[in-house]
Amino acid sequence: MSNDSIFKTFLVAFLLCVVCSVLVCLAAIVRIDREAYNKQLEVRKTVLAAAGFQQQIDDGGNIDELFTTNMELKIVDLASGEYTDAVDPATYNQKDALENPDLSVKIPSDKDIAGMGSRAKYAAVYVTKTGDIVLPIRGAGMWGPMLGYIAVADNGSTVKGLTFYQHAETPGLGAEVDNPRWKAQWPGKEVYNGNSVAIKVVKNGSYDPKASDAANTVDGLAGATVTSTKVSNIVRYWFGDDGFGKFLANLKAKRG
Amino acid sequence: MSKATDALLDPIINNNPIALQILGICSALAVTNKMSTAFTMAIAVTIVTGCSNAAVSAIRNHIPNSIRIIVQMTIIATLVIIVDQMLKAYAYEMSKALSVYVGLIITNCIVMGRAEAYAMKAPVVESFMDGIGNGLGYGLILMLVGFVRELFGSGKIFGLTILSPVNDGGWYVTNGLMLLAPSAFFLIGFIIWGLRTWKPELQE
Repeated sequence: MSNDSIFKTFLVAFLLCVVCSVLVCLAAIVRIDREAYNKQLEVRKTVLAAAGFQQQIDDGGNIDELFTTNMELKIVDLASGEYTDAVDPATYNQKDALENPDLSVKIPSDKDIAGMGSRAKYAAVYVTKTGDIVLPIRGAGMWGPMLGYIAVADNGSTVKGLTFYQHAETPGLGAEVDNPRWKAQWPGKEVYNGNSVAIKVVKNGSYDPKASDAANTVDGLAGATVTSTKVSNIVRYWFGDDGFGKFLANLKAKRG
Repeated sequence: MSKATDALLDPIINNNPIALQILGICSALAVTNKMSTAFTMAIAVTIVTGCSNAAVSAIRNHIPNSIRIIVQMTIIATLVIIVDQMLKAYAYEMSKALSVYVGLIITNCIVMGRAEAYAMKAPVVESFMDGIGNGLGYGLILMLVGFVRELFGSGKIFGLTILSPVNDGGWYVTNGLMLLAPSAFFLIGFIIWGLRTWKPELQE
């Protein structure tokens, strides 16, 4: 039979498609199983790192074990600032909620300093055994969205740590948000001064440890003023009234 | 030397896909700011070129001429998807660092070029060796570029600190240009220049 006959052409194309699609399916099955686990592990690692467990992770601690013994998942209604059981914590996905008009709200453009457009109504936060709270944050970076967690102490104001798990900042410049030395500035900073959001990231080198607002100020990244400003805006948005502001105020009121 | 050994070794220096054929430049710019990503990419491309060459060669006598390009593309795409999915499953951090560039191996001219130019005419073992050789040739340049970029851009080799950078409290002021894609253009240019000076017969 000639290779170029119509029948042979269809036969070869058909057989090739069958073989290739079976192989691709098999690969996808393996990947889907593992990917969910990988993603969960990544989030758990970030949450733990933000809450100050980096040392235990570096020492080879089991991430799943550290996480399940230390973290409790709770859902916060951002509008009221109270814990809610409107959605099931086990199945709630804050990222998917953004696509769902019933679970998300548009951010008015004058308040949208983090450049997100909309946010989920409910936020999945983690509470540690010692009462620290790990809050998910999100916003526009220089080249793409930045996603991470910031942890605050049970007074609702003292930062415990900040870690991003997804960003597309410039390697060596903005991507230094992952640098442990830069991240080490965050623990101990105060988010609020009175009732207003005071925390900010300033241009690299203009941080003055003796200034009156030093407790609210983080020095920016060298050569990455845009990324520093974006991080500043993201953090300021999420601690503002439209973000976790009400929730943290309630927390402080309850504590007395 | 046997034909198979020739097919394996020739593309590493004498007929290097990046330095001589000037193919696969896009990914060579994108994934070489760290040696670990360059290494993973090199392995991935080597697997894909080797297997796609072998597969195309195995069925070369049955491929109808009118659909031969699409047959090659389908085989290459299948292999790339498998490699991509396996990386996502078992090397998640690495697959995030490589982002879309693993998927883009499909469009890497080296893979398609070898399938059409070599595997369609040669037996399976030789074709496989030719694919592996081209993958290694590509990988060699990637590693060279990655070495220079990571060493001078971050002061590290495979993530191990060699020149302690100022950002970590050391003395070495990192070269930001090395971390950006254009630096790979210059480096590849220097490599091509060097190679053709060393072996004048390669000049066009």
